[in-house]
Amino acid sequence: MESDEFRAKARAWLATVARPRPADGGWGTGEDSVAVFENWSAEEERAHTERIREWERLRFDQGWGALGWPAEFGGRDLPAYFEQLYRAEEAAFDVPRRTEIFPVTQQLVAPAVRIWGTPEQQRRWIGPMLRTDLLACQLFSETEAGSDLAAVRTRAVRDGGRWILNGHKVWTSGARVADWGVAVCRTDPAARKHAGITVFLVRMDAPGLGVRPIRQMTGGASFNEVYLDDVAVPDTDRLGPAGEGWRVTLSVLAAERLDSGSLGLANADRALALARNLGRPLTGGEVERAADLFVRTLVQRLIGRRVTEALVAGREPGAEASVGKLYATETMRRTSDLVVRLLGPRAVADTGEWGTFAWTEHLMGAPGYRIAGGTDEIQRNILAERVLGLPRDPSR
Amino acid sequence: MRESEEQTQLRGVLRDFFGATPRGFDKALWARMAGEIGVQGLAIPEEYGGAGFSFADLAVALEEAGRALAGGPLLSTVVLAGYTLLLSDDKAACRQHLPAIAAGTRTATVAGFGGGELTATREAGGWFGDGHADFVLDGAGADLILLAARTGAGTGLFACEAGAPGLARQARTVLDGTRPQALVTLRHTPLTPIGEPGAAEAVVERVLDIGRAALAAEQAGGSAHALDATVSYVTQRHQFGRPIGSFQAVQHRLADLLVEIEAARSAAAYAASCVAGPPEEVAGPPEEVAGPPEEVAPPPEEVAPPPEEVAGPPEELAVAAAAAQVVCSETFRRAAEEYVQLHGGIGFTWEHPAHLYLRRARSAQVLFGTADDHRARLGALLGLTEHIT
Repeated sequence: MESDEFRAKARAWLATVARPRPADGGWGTGEDSVAVFENWSAEEERAHTERIREWERLRFDQGWGALGWPAEFGGRDLPAYFEQLYRAEEAAFDVPRRTEIFPVTQQLVAPAVRIWGTPEQQRRWIGPMLRTDLLACQLFSETEAGSDLAAVRTRAVRDGGRWILNGHKVWTSGARVADWGVAVCRTDPAARKHAGITVFLVRMDAPGLGVRPIRQMTGGASFNEVYLDDVAVPDTDRLGPAGEGWRVTLSVLAAERLDSGSLGLANADRALALARNLGRPLTGGEVERAADLFVRTLVQRLIGRRVTEALVAGREPGAEASVGKLYATETMRRTSDLVVRLLGPRAVADTGEWGTFAWTEHLMGAPGYRIAGGTDEIQRNILAERVLGLPRDPSR
Repeated sequence: MRESEEQTQLRGVLRDFFGATPRGFDKALWARMAGEIGVQGLAIPEEYGGAGFSFADLAVALEEAGRALAGGPLLSTVVLAGYTLLLSDDKAACRQHLPAIAAGTRTATVAGFGGGELTATREAGGWFGDGHADFVLDGAGADLILLAARTGAGTGLFACEAGAPGLARQARTVLDGTRPQALVTLRHTPLTPIGEPGAAEAVVERVLDIGRAALAAEQAGGSAHALDATVSYVTQRHQFGRPIGSFQAVQHRLADLLVEIEAARSAAAYAASCVAGPPEEVAGPPEEVAGPPEEVAPPPEEVAPPPEEVAGPPEELAVAAAAAQVVCSETFRRAAEEYVQLHGGIGFTWEHPAHLYLRRARSAQVLFGTADDHRARLGALLGLTEHIT
């Protein structure tokens, strides 16, 4: 299908199920949240998740979800960039904003199941994940295994046809609403660091599994600690071969980098709208900073397009993906800089005015993405060693 | 913006060609470029002796020329003068000048585009020019100078042949010797009008934007060379008993540079795609050239579609060219400085080519406006300078 025709059809469909956003973006009215990480109570998180889920199901059922997936998983087998085309159309409509758990389920976990899952697991998980009947979170980081993820200590011990998991995971988004968690566990402590790892899908309601929110520096809690205390997992929920878990983990991490290229764009656009609607003339310096931020949004979208094109061409977009994440986190920081510059005192003291103090959620949230999903420094290591081919640092 | 197979082949041929030839201008090299590869005629329509490819193909050649700091007056002859002729809509002038440009037998440049004090007056014996224009690229060497000059009816385009009476050309001492500049002075110099005098403003603006897109391709190429050469050096150079490229302090600098260069490539390729298709399409009627400024800001979603959809309305080019200059100027400056820094002492020597790239980078930063000029233009194009209450 031609992309023009596709976009027109997407637009037409969207018009039947959603309200268009006002032409001027509705400046001064409606939602003014620019939260990078939501500050919700458990009840609010559940309610929002349900609302998004309803939308995702509608989209899936009417043939506008899972665009790049084969028909057997409910998809349309379209080239990967059609998802971008669809998103571009959807942005003009008032639909629920996806929270982290949705891309994690649809863009990170489902593809990993497709690569590593047995046919039975694929049947059981992929369709429901794409339709968001099942939501999945990542049980990856631990207090002693952050950037050095392969140092995980959560143990999984085989016990007949099942495994017994014990350990403690941190920084899990969506743990309170997820049905499944993808757990990276050590199954062979005697093996070399990267060789003794196995990945499991764990039911988040399994006996012995406990979730405790982490209050992050924004003041709210969108991440959690997850305690695994003698949690039993059937061997049929093991993803990929035992001892090959590091490779499974790497496919999820690669997808995560890939998915991070559009981070911060919506808020950067919003900061530019703020510059246009400030109610006073901009100084020359402010115009320059705003123009710079516009240039970044343009380039970030172009880099995203290169990532998609690499996918379309059947290449693994290694460089583009880490480049995209580093570029995106810098865009978020520059957005903060511009907004503080534009708003002055209203950025730091709440006057109650629409679209002003709300930016503090961006200011305090943006630093989180320089750490989440592989820190900026880890992305630079990846670029230096895997893309530029520089000699490995002997101390690592 | 995906590179076609032909473009990849062209890139390979040019890299070999430039890699085996000396830097800077060389008349024999210029002739071989035209004869063996047809670089000068790449984007010139077939009816004027060219190959009729698009600007995106020419951009590949510019990127490779920028990588090698080679290629002679490609930017002035093929891009500035070539597109001035094509956009002028003066078929006779195109027929007269473009075939020789495509064949590599003549070089050309432009003067008075974005600065200068040139006037043209009509007298009994024809048109005559007076005044001066400074910083004219290849101004002392070009066989043909295309002038933008004030006339009673507005700005007009004129051709001035080398050796015309009253034409004086004083080569400036320049920072970047691979890109000569001159002060060009006219005293009652006979000129040939190109197109109708009076309507050249839009052509000049568009040619400058095309120049910015072309320069961005060169800058992306130069930056890529700086990165490649530096990666190769830090992999071989040992200090403290290990390659210096294994130190994280060095690795992260180069990773950051790679990010900048990927951004520069993306911005340059996008600007090239906005210059768009075969040159015949570029030369739209004048009313299309000057788009209303309100329509200038493209909604961000429009950036997402695949390359085939990126048409090339002039206002989109203005935004893309300014954006590309903001990104590529800074990237090339940084790449050239990292080139020097990470080579240590050897990088600061005259023998090492790193300084040639720093010279080019610094000189490119101001060629078609400074980054601040481009930001100010973007501000206006995006409606940031209007006061909305």
